Amino acid sequence: MISLLEIAERTQKGRKMPEDAWNMSLFQKIQELAKKYDIPKYTADMPFLNLDDGLADRAFRAGLDLITEHGVYCTTTGRVLEFAGEEVEGAIRESPAELPVGRGPDARVIKQREIAGKEPLNVCPGHHSPFSEDLAPLVVKNFAQIPRADFIEGFNFVNVDGREIQGEPLEVYATRRQIGWMREGVRKAGRPGLAIVLYPINTGAVTLMSVLEPISGLQPGDGLLTSVLPDEKIEHDMLAAAIASQQCGVWRVSSSFSMLGGFCGGEDGAIIEGVAKALTAMICYRVYVNCTGVEHIRTAKGSATHPQPLSWARSVVNQALNRHSNIICMAWIASSSGPGTELNLLETAARAIEAVANGANLYAPRHLTPRMNAGQTPVQPELMIEVADAVIRAGMGRDGAAETLGSLARQLEGRDTERGYTIQECYDLVNHKPNSDFLQIYLKVKDYLHTLGLDFD
Amino acid sequence: MASENEIKQTLESLRKAIIEYDTDAAVSAAEQVVANGIDPMKAIDVIKESSGVIADKFDSGEYFLPHLVMAGEAMTAASDVLEKALPQESLGAKKVVVIGTVEADMHSVGKNIVAMMLRTSGFEVHDLGVDVKSSAFVTRARDTNADIIALSSLMTTTRPYQREVIEELESLGIRDNYKVIVGGGSVTQEWADEIGADGHGKDAVEAVEAARTLTGQR
Repeated sequence: MISLLEIAERTQKGRKMPEDAWNMSLFQKIQELAKKYDIPKYTADMPFLNLDDGLADRAFRAGLDLITEHGVYCTTTGRVLEFAGEEVEGAIRESPAELPVGRGPDARVIKQREIAGKEPLNVCPGHHSPFSEDLAPLVVKNFAQIPRADFIEGFNFVNVDGREIQGEPLEVYATRRQIGWMREGVRKAGRPGLAIVLYPINTGAVTLMSVLEPISGLQPGDGLLTSVLPDEKIEHDMLAAAIASQQCGVWRVSSSFSMLGGFCGGEDGAIIEGVAKALTAMICYRVYVNCTGVEHIRTAKGSATHPQPLSWARSVVNQALNRHSNIICMAWIASSSGPGTELNLLETAARAIEAVANGANLYAPRHLTPRMNAGQTPVQPELMIEVADAVIRAGMGRDGAAETLGSLARQLEGRDTERGYTIQECYDLVNHKPNSDFLQIYLKVKDYLHTLGLDFD
Repeated sequence: MASENEIKQTLESLRKAIIEYDTDAAVSAAEQVVANGIDPMKAIDVIKESSGVIADKFDSGEYFLPHLVMAGEAMTAASDVLEKALPQESLGAKKVVVIGTVEADMHSVGKNIVAMMLRTSGFEVHDLGVDVKSSAFVTRARDTNADIIALSSLMTTTRPYQREVIEELESLGIRDNYKVIVGGGSVTQEWADEIGADGHGKDAVEAVEAARTLTGQR
């Protein structure tokens, strides 16, 4: 596989191009590929999820062509990295479909799943959400003690040791403290070897690499979030962190979903970029575990919930990657409503059903625009695991999942998003259980899901 | 002298060209305005109205970021033709915005949308990109006689740099020369109030509305 040093060299030697020109050129190329490979836009008469293997196959070819015919852009140097077809195809062939993570009895293997597969999903239960330092180790403990947790991601915070985090020295200190709190939390949960993934306090190389030491930082078997930027872009800080972490036995995760409405255009373009981005993360940052799919550039508005065309587009991307690569897809579950609400749990459940059908694992369900301590509670990952397992037990294939999701979508459609609650307001962190109001909401949601054919017993 | 009908048709051609982000057609329509002796200010008003239509189309999901770019180019090209036909003193200066994502933050999507929508709304926009040092915002604002400094921050750990920009303006005694708008995933109205920002947009539409209000265009 093309080495990361080769990638680094190409960022210095590729042809120069202004970033504005790259953006519009990418859009033009994606439009051309969408036409060439007949990638449609979603219409209401289509199934809720993709059932067309031919479309998934064409989407994969389009994503591949985007890399080989248009390249990848380095924002640090303003240069274009070009790749030969054989380089990309070779990288795809050589990448593993399984990744061992963690250590000792807590070691796990994260695997690529089959579309509508029968194996239990791998799970990262939290965080990628802001929590205050006074709650940190207790929050981590609560998520780490979920038995099906295979690894756990860090979190964002504003103050460390009572000081506001600003400037590289404090950002480095805060990053190391994050790992310390994570380690303390997993130990308290009785899972000292559970793999932890650094959530970047900032994305500078110095900060990212400040924890690449095994005594009090990341250890071999732990992970680091190194995400490819939107619009097929990479940059030097992440690449440096990828090179260094690779040498330390630390693996990487990337948020590799595309953004519908951005420079990829509509859902047809977002599908192509969604495929290409996961492959780009694999080639340029050596990432095998990718949060894949499609999100909406405007979803962050927190507007009323409209599952389509995102659900369908996500399914094409995930199925394309599963059919033609070893990329381990993770469903990054972001809800438009906050924790402690019915809508939040319904959205979480929907994404879990999608994940099983599309061949993805489950990743850190959270509110899309969280307030401090109001991004997630352990109930969300616990529900997503229950739902995924129920879908598998029900023997639900893609078409069954599509039908179920259609029914669920009618529950979500047109409803105003709910702000939600902080974790302290709706969850008892000492006793690891939701408060009585939240428990009733959770049970109501499960009862409703049961009417859709999901058996939780 | 153009007839009432010719005026209407020419202005409609201009409007259509802008909304359909067709730069050549927009320039051609603008040249027709000038050639037919139509009041260029009427045409400039049509361009401003069209920007509202474009913003609505983006908000509804019909248009995407590239469409905003292309529509902005069409608007700029047409405006350049029309402004040459106007007496200099009748041209109101465009309001100037310096925008960027603050230091240590690489997120650009939201900022790009706001920048594009400000351009299509008639602002002169200087986009500094991402990971922008606070001093760079101040320097560019001074160099361009900016009206607004717009600061984006997605991460809670980078939003203190929004406050740093305001503090730098204050330390230089030039705080009152600029309106500061803040936004981004981690930014709330409470935060904006806390740091003394003049405006906050929870999304691009609100950001543009805030910019218009702060520059007296609303």
